[in-house]
Amino acid sequence: MNTNNNVYTVIYTTVIVVIVAALLAFVSQSLKAKQDANEKAETISQMLTSAQYGTKAELDKLGNAAKLDKYAEEIDKAFVIDLDGKVLRELNTSREDIEVYSPKQLKRQNYNIKGGANKTGEPELPVFVFKNGRTVVPIYGAGLWGPIWGYISFEHNSATIAGAYFDHESETAGLGAKIKDDPSFQKEFVGEVANFGESNVVDIVKGGAPKDAEGKSVVDNKVDAITGATMTSQGLDAAIDTWLEAYSKYFQANTKACEENHDCCEGEHEEACEGDCENHKAKEE
Amino acid sequence: MDAKLKETILNPIFKGNPITVLVLGICSSLAVTVTLKGALVMALSVIVVCGISSLILSLLRNTIPGRVRIIVQLVVVAMMVILVDQVLKSFEATYAIDKQLSVYIGLIITNCIVMGRIEAFALGNKPWPSFLDGVANGAGYGLILIVVAFFRELLGSGTLFGIDILNRFGYVPNNLVILPPFALILLGCIVWVQRSIQKDLQEK
Repeated sequence: MNTNNNVYTVIYTTVIVVIVAALLAFVSQSLKAKQDANEKAETISQMLTSAQYGTKAELDKLGNAAKLDKYAEEIDKAFVIDLDGKVLRELNTSREDIEVYSPKQLKRQNYNIKGGANKTGEPELPVFVFKNGRTVVPIYGAGLWGPIWGYISFEHNSATIAGAYFDHESETAGLGAKIKDDPSFQKEFVGEVANFGESNVVDIVKGGAPKDAEGKSVVDNKVDAITGATMTSQGLDAAIDTWLEAYSKYFQANTKACEENHDCCEGEHEEACEGDCENHKAKEE
Repeated sequence: MDAKLKETILNPIFKGNPITVLVLGICSSLAVTVTLKGALVMALSVIVVCGISSLILSLLRNTIPGRVRIIVQLVVVAMMVILVDQVLKSFEATYAIDKQLSVYIGLIITNCIVMGRIEAFALGNKPWPSFLDGVANGAGYGLILIVVAFFRELLGSGTLFGIDILNRFGYVPNNLVILPPFALILLGCIVWVQRSIQKDLQEK
């Protein structure tokens, strides 16, 4: 048989590519459920890390089932809001059918927030409130080589950041990948205060965030960028700004409600107010 | 087992090791040897990809059109790499390691060992010897990976498979060992040892 014939070559390559494509499609479909379960457990452990229920390494020692258990145990409420901060629907938090937003779903919402040709509808923004009072919101955007995403948690009814965890698909190992691998970078966010209502909600700056005389980071909205990873840092900065800006009405309404309640918290109720204004308000009523 | 088959299996492990003698697959051996677990998963992945692609292409060897043979090889190797990646992502135990190895699993396709062995051996030999050749070359690669990872994890993190070893005795992990340059230094040492034993490799 003459295998160098043109017709033979074209038919041969076509057949082999079709067979391979069909096989891969079949395998991908049949393994999808398992992969989604793994991804969900990973997303949950990232949110728990952000809400300070332990370091990522500690949480990763738990199996998938234990992660879901912990989430079901610790979650207070989860819901979806629109750009005005209005609650659109609740998210299921029961152990059997936990609803979280996978990076793929975040990608869709990212298009919806930014608008443009890929917009499929009005933004639906998930909010996760944990029993330790912390509110976790996701961010999503473009790094240097691929998507980056993460979860930022805020103290109860406040703009103070309690924790952050970031992940990426294919940033450069040792440089951009530090947003995920370097816990000290994620720690820099803790204690900083987001500027809701401005376009630059959290600022990742080159050349060092302002420090006080003792070398501690000043409480502002500035965080040190990663050396050698300018593009990833800028991408993360843009992702955080885009998403937190979308959440800003929700957070502004919440923090304002707390401040107003403080008026009624003076005097004998002061102590009760410190932790939780809403509870206090309910008590008074 | 006849002598030729035995030679096919044993040669890539030491005398004709793909990393230390043929100097192929250096890039990934620097990247994935920070932890033993990662190196082990990478080694197994390369063994599977190398062995099965060699087997498939050896079965097809008389039908492949000569002018597009590299493309056909690429299609088969890419398929194997994607399959391995998909399977690793599906199991709870390997999901975290797959995430840690991230791009390097996908980059097995660019590992010269796989294409090199197919081109040099599988296309000219029967399926069974080709399969063994692929597996043995993957194993030769994996062996070096594991030796390098053993030293890097022990000295760089003070642990082995994530279990504290040196850390218990107050060892302070050496950060240089974690960085890729140290893997190159270690590889150099391994080549040095091998060339002292195997005199015929020394250049005059």
